[in-house]
Amino acid sequence: MKRTTRAGAVLASGLLAATLAACGSSSPSSGTGSAKGPSGTLVISNAQGTQWNCSFNPFLPSVLNTGVTMGQVYEPLVFINTLQSGKTTPWLATAWAWGNNNKTLTFTIRNGVKFNDGTPMTAADVVFTFNLMKKFSALDINSVWSVLSSVTQSGASQVVMTFKAPSVPYFYYIGDQVPIVPEHIWSKLANPVTYADSSPVATGAFMVKPCTPQNITYVANPHYWQPGEPKIAKVLYPAFTSNDPANTYLATGQAQWGSQFIPNIQNVYASKSPDNHYWFAPIANVSLIPNLTVPGLNNVAVRQAMAYAIDRNKVSQIGEYGEEPPANQNAIVTPTFSSWMNGQAAGQYNYTYNPAKAEQILTRAGYTKGSDGIFAKGGQRLSFSVINIGGYSDWVAGMSVIQSDLKAVGIQITPQNLAQNDFLARLYAGSYQLAYNNQTGGPTPYYEFRQWLYSANSAPIGKNASTNWERYINPATDALLNQYATTTDPATQHHIMDQLQQVVLNDVPFIPMTQEVAWYQYNTGSFTGWVTQSNPYALPGEYLYPDAGQLLLHLAPK
Amino acid sequence: MRFVLRRAGFFLLTLWAAVTLNFFLPRMMPGNPAIAMMAKFRGRLSGQALVALETIFGVNTHESLLAQYVHYLGDIFSGNFGTSLFFFPSPVSQVVRSAIFWTLGLVGITTILAFLLGTGVGIVAAWRRGGLLDSVAPPVLVITSAIPYFWVGMMFIMIFGLKLHWLPWSGGADIAATPGWNGAYLGNVLQHAVLPGLALLITTIGTWVLTMRNNMVTTLAEDYVRMARAKGLPGRRIMLDYAARNAILPNLTGFAMSLGFVVGGAILIEYVFNYPGVGYMLLQAVQNEDYPLMQALFLLITVAVLVAILLADIATAVFDPRTRTAR
Repeated sequence: MKRTTRAGAVLASGLLAATLAACGSSSPSSGTGSAKGPSGTLVISNAQGTQWNCSFNPFLPSVLNTGVTMGQVYEPLVFINTLQSGKTTPWLATAWAWGNNNKTLTFTIRNGVKFNDGTPMTAADVVFTFNLMKKFSALDINSVWSVLSSVTQSGASQVVMTFKAPSVPYFYYIGDQVPIVPEHIWSKLANPVTYADSSPVATGAFMVKPCTPQNITYVANPHYWQPGEPKIAKVLYPAFTSNDPANTYLATGQAQWGSQFIPNIQNVYASKSPDNHYWFAPIANVSLIPNLTVPGLNNVAVRQAMAYAIDRNKVSQIGEYGEEPPANQNAIVTPTFSSWMNGQAAGQYNYTYNPAKAEQILTRAGYTKGSDGIFAKGGQRLSFSVINIGGYSDWVAGMSVIQSDLKAVGIQITPQNLAQNDFLARLYAGSYQLAYNNQTGGPTPYYEFRQWLYSANSAPIGKNASTNWERYINPATDALLNQYATTTDPATQHHIMDQLQQVVLNDVPFIPMTQEVAWYQYNTGSFTGWVTQSNPYALPGEYLYPDAGQLLLHLAPK
Repeated sequence: MRFVLRRAGFFLLTLWAAVTLNFFLPRMMPGNPAIAMMAKFRGRLSGQALVALETIFGVNTHESLLAQYVHYLGDIFSGNFGTSLFFFPSPVSQVVRSAIFWTLGLVGITTILAFLLGTGVGIVAAWRRGGLLDSVAPPVLVITSAIPYFWVGMMFIMIFGLKLHWLPWSGGADIAATPGWNGAYLGNVLQHAVLPGLALLITTIGTWVLTMRNNMVTTLAEDYVRMARAKGLPGRRIMLDYAARNAILPNLTGFAMSLGFVVGGAILIEYVFNYPGVGYMLLQAVQNEDYPLMQALFLLITVAVLVAILLADIATAVFDPRTRTAR
């Protein structure tokens, strides 16, 4: 949980940071590189804000998102790397092929994979897993059965998936996000939704042994299907209820892998040891979200003016200590997805910080500045409330920058800092004027665009919209998104994404401010093989699945 | 007897009111557990998961609120608290059990120690009024009891944990230690409890000392104490049997109440020391709209406080016969 405890973290770290003892590497890890078989103990530090409940059920969001199960314990069919524009690596499946105009997908399942109880993993287990998600829809958190019509076995090692309509982007949710579970265990469960799965039988490189509320111990799986893997013998994942002790664990070298926000990271963490490093990879846009049903905000000129009026660099520097970089109005996260950037369109609109242009747009749209310095048209002032999560001190700070920038061009916004639950309830239901939040994104920019723009992700005001919170509905945009879903050709995909960027630049349905990152700190004292900016083989956040499992496989004791 | 019955009746009425509030209040909070789960994993869970979560948590139940209430009352009396939503799919009883003993151990023992030590110091300070203890203890303790205990905790972590490396400062025991009833593990647990325990102790002891001392001073001026002195009774006996016995009565009620509140844990201490107790769990339950867990914890606290007050009432009646006849 990287952000929920931020306010507290900022408050307390100031005190702790001042005297944080800089003890080099007092880590419990002992690398014996020459020995055969796995060795060494890695300690993970990532404050989840709770004790472990020792459930490893890989279908439950409450378990999945603590990063304890998917990746290192349960494994997917393929691994898709967000940091390399969706580069796909065969995993439990060795091959896959689209057919029938991209309406069927055939996976070839790997031979020789065993679950950690010694039983072989087969195509039957894969078919069982998908049909289990069909039977218990609560397990299907990415709604893959909204596009699938059947999953069947073909021959000894093939699985054929049939789709209701071409749904190429769902390859990510199906291949990378679904954990393959053993039929011989899960078929006997009366209700897999409430199954704790405290000693998981899975194919991954690590097994749980033991788990206590205070710490999860993972040990190497002797049946693991990749020869020579894993190279680490033991992984400890202690439960931290708050960021402070977790940050101190990292700074002192007691833990080697961290995934959280550390305020003033250079002083608090990096300066404590030459082995301490960090890298934050951008993955999604944190955006100012106008409710498009609100008078004033439904006027595209107003939204365009807002996009020109705000100094995104300042929002990043003041709100985020520069740790989350400024975003762009193309809504392409850079440098992660730089190859998708429509540079020509970006130049054409040139959404740089330009307050004069903002005022010019408003004036041209018929707005006049009142005596209070706020623009108005037909008696309606450009004055809005903006909902924000009060617990995120960085977002609150960023919002005050946005507020003063908008004020300078004659648009008034009044921040309302809410509790998280209240905030989300209002965001989903559409009972707000402006809001500040981000999407989850995916392995290519398409996923985030679809989340923002697809009309099926919207809902009438008062009903919960899943991701299209601004209520942007445009049949032409829907058609582009649907067209992307029918093609596997990269050139066509890029062409469609270019047009989608035009949509965001022109309609300004949301205004990207900064880029959400994967928080990542690592200590090179006793382990090698870390994800770095020059070798981004997986998203390095411990809570990001199944990427965390990739990282654990690449690591080796020194 | 009538006194006890009346008290017990009052106890039951209060309990019902608390249990009922306990049911309705959480449900008046904005949002629902599914939205709270989305909030917990901010941005990492795609919006589509909301539907799955609502199915898992039974958010869109068609049972009326009244039917849910009756259901809830029945469950409480059969001790069935259901499944925690935040720690899904763990049963509430298991979740609470994993935390309650840490809290009872740390906060319970600290509270008792603070009361015994504080009362003792208060008695002696008042008895030797103007003496060394009396001139040092009260002013110092006024200061320590005014410092927020989490701040003391952070200072302890900084000095004894990070600078001097004397004591562990995070968690209830070493992360690599295997829990068990053996000397090594218990020693480890005890070591981890020292800093949070001390932080709580020095910030709570002051109240006991000051109130006890002041009560003592008032009592020592009573005629019956002067009478005892006139009779030539030994000082010890006057101090304990004549003065302290009467002076302790108001403190006893306070002590009973703080014992009741022990099960609520010490949220900030648990937060600062990463201690696996109930207090922080309660905060989590509230933030995440985990109705079943919240209800169980609030009920636990309510019952504990009510029982403690009932016992304090009875104890006061035993010590002070006047309260028995009071109408």
